[in-house]
Order: sequence, then structure tokens, then C-alpha cells
Amino acid sequence: MTVSPLQGITHACFGLSYLLAFALELARLFWPRTGWRVAALGLGLAGVFAHTLYIYFHHPSPATPYGSLLLLAWVLALFYLYGTTVRYARQAWAVFVLPVVIGLVGLSLAFAATADAPPLDVPAWLTGEHFWGTVHGALILLASVGVSVGFLASVMYLVQARRVRNKVNPARVVPLLSLERLETMNRRAVNVAFPLLTAGLLVGSLLLKTEHGAPETWLSVKVLSTAGLWVVFLVLLYLRYATNVPGRRLAVLSIVAFGLLLVALAAAHPFVVGEAR
Amino acid sequence: MNLRAIGCNVESAAVELREKLVFDEPKLRRALAELTARYGAEAVVLGTCNRVELYLARPEDGSPVHAPLVAEFLGEVHGVPADLIVLHLYELADAAAVRHVFRVAAGLDSVVVGEDQIAGQVKEAFDTARTCGATGPLLNALFPAALRVSKRVRTETGIARGQVSVASAAVRFVREVFDHFADKTVLVIGVGEMGQLTLVHLKELNPAGILVTNRSPERAATAAAEYGGQAVPWDQLDDALVRADIVLSTTGAPELIMPRRRFEEKVLSKRGRRKLVIFDLAMPRDFDPRIHDGDPVSLFNVDDLTAVRDQQLAERRRHVGPAEAIVETEVGKFVQDWNRRKDGPVIGQLTAEADRIREAVLGPLLEKLNGAQTAAERARLVEGGLRLLQNKLLHGPIAALRDAAGQAHHGSLRDALRKLFGLQG
Repeated sequence: MTVSPLQGITHACFGLSYLLAFALELARLFWPRTGWRVAALGLGLAGVFAHTLYIYFHHPSPATPYGSLLLLAWVLALFYLYGTTVRYARQAWAVFVLPVVIGLVGLSLAFAATADAPPLDVPAWLTGEHFWGTVHGALILLASVGVSVGFLASVMYLVQARRVRNKVNPARVVPLLSLERLETMNRRAVNVAFPLLTAGLLVGSLLLKTEHGAPETWLSVKVLSTAGLWVVFLVLLYLRYATNVPGRRLAVLSIVAFGLLLVALAAAHPFVVGEAR
Repeated sequence: MNLRAIGCNVESAAVELREKLVFDEPKLRRALAELTARYGAEAVVLGTCNRVELYLARPEDGSPVHAPLVAEFLGEVHGVPADLIVLHLYELADAAAVRHVFRVAAGLDSVVVGEDQIAGQVKEAFDTARTCGATGPLLNALFPAALRVSKRVRTETGIARGQVSVASAAVRFVREVFDHFADKTVLVIGVGEMGQLTLVHLKELNPAGILVTNRSPERAATAAAEYGGQAVPWDQLDDALVRADIVLSTTGAPELIMPRRRFEEKVLSKRGRRKLVIFDLAMPRDFDPRIHDGDPVSLFNVDDLTAVRDQQLAERRRHVGPAEAIVETEVGKFVQDWNRRKDGPVIGQLTAEADRIREAVLGPLLEKLNGAQTAAERARLVEGGLRLLQNKLLHGPIAALRDAAGQAHHGSLRDALRKLFGLQG
């Protein structure tokens, strides 16, 4: 059996590509050069390509912190490419999205097991061999994308709102999306993520009850932080549609939701035994 | 090159004189025809609110057209005494004239440095002159070059970056808050002059509707008709503010028309989370400045917008140095290219003459070489042929030098020959 050289791709390949792309995008803001945008895009594209191949060859399990963070980083990297090339080419999109991608890749690396780690004992339904397990994983992953997009929109919103509040000359600062656009992006992300998260949690709860009913699993960090995330989302929706709370506060709550998501993803899954790989 | 740029601008002449020298379309066409006929010159007339300039090019051997003549001409066309005009005219010759038109087109000579309207005005002036048949080889090369330089300066430096008017600064702020405008309503309170200018810019965003209110219902109705909006009674100001997304206030009220408490109770509480951008361009101000919080209510006054405009102007001025450097390079290139182009016919004649002499020597020499029997005879023939070629080539310069003996230009001709043939001392 032959081994493709592409199987030798490591975290460093795409992590460094993203890092260099970010450095170039950052430099471009202060010293605008067309070539730097092209180089940054090339590096970003190479990073996404390497990232995709890595996932294809290594099949990281979404049930593990390592796998879920890596998969989320991959989806956000696609989001970065789409935004930079199609929708928000004139705005400082990459400067906000790439740090999150790099952070998630770095965090997943921190969870990567050593080479001699014992094999994992992951339940079949969680790794995707079981239909409902796959559904649960897919729903949570998609909701995570929504939470991340909401987080990105919120960070940009807070920066933009601060600028408008201080009446900063728009021509002298990094171009950002309008407050209206960012608010819409955040609202849509939350509106999409909440039902997905709810459905994912319901499926997960049923599975937990029927196939892994140990009472202590309900009190695991993962389950509690995910439940907390769901509650924050509920509060977000209430504040958005039933009150006149300013957009800034909603943005702060969306950032809190992302923090809880990171805790949930980083926490060991109650069903997985062994190294978190 | 025999080029002159003669005219006046904001620095050399007051508006009272400049407005008398304005060319309307028929007057401009008549003037171009007259300049061509009277002075045998290529002509372009550039008239903007800040300048009136004539670019005149005559043949190399003709005497240039000077400022007093242009003053006389302008005086005739506009009915203003030439003596009055000539005092305010500047005259730039050849390379300086080239530099001037390049700087003008690039916006470096504008009141608002880097402004982009001037490039269009230069193009229009040139197009008009060309369609009138008033341009020739020099101006047909000069003006397209000026437009290229303008583009290069604007692309390669930041001189044209950002907006430099109060109205455009307002639009810039609006775009920081709103993404689209098809569902937005603009409310105009009062009908001040600055507000009108800003409204023109805001209308370009194509808002869904424009509401106009004024203490005087008649003035509100007139303004509404003028802006294509809907008049709202003054006592419905609070409701209009609830409906509006963008507000432009320019009343002449001596005190606040919208104190903070009234705004919070009658307006903000009914708007939900909808964002509101207010431009309070009145003096004294119409809105309580404490209502500004950036989200959802953003309030900008004249000082805020002026500060943005001034920052942009200062930013543009930073790029003047690099822009001037580009202009200088391009002036050098243009003058060099033009001189090369002017030398073309002379070089052609010189080459043709040398070809004729070569053929005259080579033909007979080849015939004689065919009949030669020995190498020594062939060498003698070649040497004779080359000597003949040398004599024929040098005959003209040497004869000219001898003929000039005793004349005024003898010395300069001798120096020219030394330079042309690389002779020492």
C-alpha cells in the first residue's frame, strides 16, 4: 500500500499559512500594496487546501476537543476565503476572521495527543457510525459555525460602534462593515444557530439517556457549558425580539456565547474515554 | 517648443475679475476660432470657477504669444479693459507651461488639493478645442499627456484619497451606520444652505423617502416640492423623528429644538432599536449633544464634519511631495519626447543624404574593382573610393564654415562642428 506525500501534512503547514496570511493582511492595512493582498490570499488558499487534506487523511473525530476545534477552524477558514474574495473584499474581514481560525487551530493542537497515546474508546454512535450520533455531531458543528459567525460580527460591531461613538474619521481607519450589516449578520447567525443547537442538544440528551445513562455524565463540563450556551442564546433571542436593548449589549452576549462554545468544545466528551484525539 | 500658458487663477485675480472672464459655450467656440485665425496658434481655453487659462502653441520659428496680447484679446471678448486684465495674468513658457498643465490636471494647483473635478474639466476644454479644430501637434500631445499624468498621480499617491467636503463627510458617517438605503427615510428640518448641499449628497444614496418640516408650512411645502419629498407640519416633528433614519437639521432657531428629555420621551422610546443618524448643521445647534451615544443614536454637528474634512485635506497634503516628483519626471519625459519628435525630419534628411553620397561612391568603385587585376590595384581603388566618400561628407560642413568666416555666427558654427565631430580644443 502506497502512502501519499500529502499525508505528511501537519498542523504547522496550515497554521503557519494562516499566520502569514494574517500578518500580510495586517501589514496591508498600514502600508497598502496590491501585491500583499494577493500574497495573503495565496497563503490563505494554501492554508485551506492543506487544512482540507489534513482532515481528509486524518478524519479527526468531532466528538473530541481536538477534532471539533479543527473542524470548526476549517469551516471558518472557508468563511474567511469567501468573505475576502467575494463579499467583503474592501473591508478588513481577514483581520478579524483569521485570528479566530489561528486560535482554534492552536487550541486543537494543544489537545492533540502524543504519538504513543493509547487508542480512544469512542462510542460507535458518536463517531458517525450510528445515524443519530452523526446527526447530533453535525447539528452541534453547524450551530458552532453560527455561534462563531455571531461572535465575529459582534467583535466587529463593538469596534465599529466605538468608532461612531467617538466620531472617528472613517477615512483614517480600517474599513469595516456598517453597524446595520453587522447587526443583521449577528441576528441571522443567532437565528440559525439556536434551532440547530436546540435540535443537537435534544438528540444528544436522548442518546445520553438511552445509550449512556450514567447520572454523572449530565453534570460533565461539556454538557453544562453546552446547556449554558443554549440559555445564553435564549436570553439573546428574548433581548433582541422582546426588548429595546442596544446592539452593543447583544454583541457582548454573543461574545459570551462564543466563550461558552469554546469551553464546550474543549471539554472532554462524557462518552469518550482515553486521550482526547 | 513654442508653448505659452497664460491666465489667471484664485491667487492672481479676485473673483470680481475672474467672473468677468468666464467663457460660455458660444463665446468659447468663437474665441478658439479667433485665436487660431489671428495668431496662427494652436489653442485650448481652460475655464473653471478657479481659473481662466489659455494654452497657446505656435510654430518653432514663430514669435510666441505674450501676456499683453492675450490681455488685449480677453478684453475684446469680454469687454473688460486690457490694462486691468494684464496685471493679473501669469505667463509660463515651454517646460514651465508643460509643468503647469500637468499640475493643474493632477489637482496640485487646485484650492482643494487633489480634487478630481479638474481632470474632467481639462479633458472637456481639450475636447472642445479639438472639435473646433483649434489644436495641433503640440497640444494634441500635451493634453492627453496631462490626463495620463493626472491619473498616475491619483493612482500612485494618496492625494485624491478620502472625501474633502462637509457633505461628503456626512455621507461617509452615514455609511458607517447603514448598509442600504432603499428602506430609509431622510428628515430635513429647516432649509439652510449647508443642509441643501448635504441633502444633494444624501439623495444620491436613493433613500425611500424624504420628509421636510419647517416652522413655516409654506417654506416646508416649497422645499418638499424642490427635494421631491413630503412636507410634514412642524407640530409633528416628534413623529417625523420617530419615522426617520437620517436627519438633517439646519434651522435658524435661537435655542435647542430637541432637548434630551423630549428626545428620549417622545422619540427614542418609540423607535425601538432602529438606528438614527442626525446631522445638526445649525448654528446655534438644534439637538442636545447629549443624545449622541453612537448606537443607536449618532449625532454629528458642523464641527465634527469640518474636523473630518480638515483631516482629509491634511492627509492629502502629505502626498504633494511624491505627486510633484511624478509631475517633474513626466515633464522631463514630455519635453524630451517632443524634442526628439521635432528632430525626426532632420535626422531623416541627414540619413538620406548620407545614403545618396554612399551610393554615388560605391557604384563606380565596385565597377572598377571588377576590372582590377592585382591586389595592389584593388587596395589603391578602395583607398581612392573611401577618400572620395570622406571628401563628399566633409565638403558641406567645411564649406559652410568657410562661408561663415567674418559673420556673427562663425564662432558658434565652429563650436558646433567641434561638438558634432568630437574634436578637441
